[in-house]
Amino acid sequence: MPQITYIDSDGNKHQVELPLGATIMEGAVQNDIKGIIAECGGSCMCATCHCYIGEEYLDKLPEMEEEEDEMLEGAVAPRTERSRLGCQVRISNALDGLVVEIPQEQ
Amino acid sequence: METITEQKFQFNPYSPIMDADPFPFYKTLRDHYPCFWSDDVNMWILSRYDDIKRAGVEWETFSSSEGNLVDELPGRSGSTLGTTDPPRHDRLRKLIQSAFAKNNLMHLMDPTKELVTEVLDKVLEMGSFDFVQDFSSQITVGTLFAMMGLPDEDHHEVRRNVILSIQSDQETRQKGPEHIGGFKFLTNYVEDIVRQRRADPKDDLISRLILAEIDGDKLEEAEIIMTSATIILAGVESLSSFLSMMAYNMATFPDARRRIAADASLMPKAIEETLRFNTSAQRFKRVLTKDLEMHGQQMKKGDFVMLCYGSANRDERFFRNPDVYDLERNTRGHLGFGGGVHLCLGNMFARMITTIAMGEFFTRIPEYYISTEQLDWNPSTTFRSPVKLPLTIGK
Repeated sequence: MPQITYIDSDGNKHQVELPLGATIMEGAVQNDIKGIIAECGGSCMCATCHCYIGEEYLDKLPEMEEEEDEMLEGAVAPRTERSRLGCQVRISNALDGLVVEIPQEQ
Repeated sequence: METITEQKFQFNPYSPIMDADPFPFYKTLRDHYPCFWSDDVNMWILSRYDDIKRAGVEWETFSSSEGNLVDELPGRSGSTLGTTDPPRHDRLRKLIQSAFAKNNLMHLMDPTKELVTEVLDKVLEMGSFDFVQDFSSQITVGTLFAMMGLPDEDHHEVRRNVILSIQSDQETRQKGPEHIGGFKFLTNYVEDIVRQRRADPKDDLISRLILAEIDGDKLEEAEIIMTSATIILAGVESLSSFLSMMAYNMATFPDARRRIAADASLMPKAIEETLRFNTSAQRFKRVLTKDLEMHGQQMKKGDFVMLCYGSANRDERFFRNPDVYDLERNTRGHLGFGGGVHLCLGNMFARMITTIAMGEFFTRIPEYYISTEQLDWNPSTTFRSPVKLPLTIGK
């Protein structure tokens, strides 16, 4: 299973293994990673699973849909080119070793 | 010889007892009848956290297309966000969502603070006051009207009709003519505004809905009117009721209140715990699009299902000591704003206004108590809120 490192909103690192097909948001919720709220449960409706993706993995991510793009515009923490909604990114083998940073605010 | 007959459990959301305190009924449902057919309201009742969470995610099975209010108002189904399924729902929501995103609400903060200060000045002068009339609805109507660009002089009449719209008749067990009349007033009111904005578009939500297109089509007139009326309904009543529930909780749990009054950084925790503990939006409705078995019960396609969010938030299978109001609790996953694709559109708006309004309220009025023996609760199958919340300042 691919290994993912979360850096939570307090800056603590958590290394976890996630099954293929799970989302970054689900992995965070299941492992109780601080800072991910995921209020809408993965429906791309709330922008409270905003996270920053490790730079070297950006081109390995699924392409962003318009809905996600719109939601990210409403995110509280600053949006950068590394911003994604955790619920819209599924774990694949290509993401093994990924580091995901959780912003301080959702 | 005496015979003991087992009394049949009833779940009657039209009962004033339910308006006042639904929580014991919820517990019986969760423990003994997790999928219960209620003859009183002619629908299945779901009460456990996992089931309600699931219904939110599985919107294809638990459809909103035939209304989401337990007693639906005429004309809403299919024309509002809460009564439309994806994919149309998602397109419609996208049009409106950005107006409610946090960074687009920031401009409301200063005017809201000013309004709160002004309203609190009056309340402090009064000493004894009705929190609903004199505080919470002043704030929510004022803020929502500012946000939607509606004229101030209509405050009173709009609020009166909003309250009628959310009620049901306890005798006939449906919306009475006065409730439907209240909603009719609101839709006529919005219709007038829509007409004005068509002639003279402004930079506001209603103008945006008029100009918007989904897949090349304009929104239908009914969609614009019903969606706007629903936003007014929710923004005025749901939010005002939520503020009232928070004031009620803090009167009931003075230790928590004193902690918040002394430390404003606790406000977010208090808001989330209040959303969990007794949010105003208690119950919503779905219709099944296929046969479904749950907890040994056979439900049929076309059956209505009530989702008791207020019960899910007290489910001991998910929250430890759920009947305790606990500022230290991890509230993650609560369903105070619902969940899934229909998660409350105004959740950021509600949190922001509540933080400002109640934060200032507790700072300036750290000590108060409820000055009546018994509260009257609104007769509503969907929402729970006191008609009046008489408070007196002091210990």
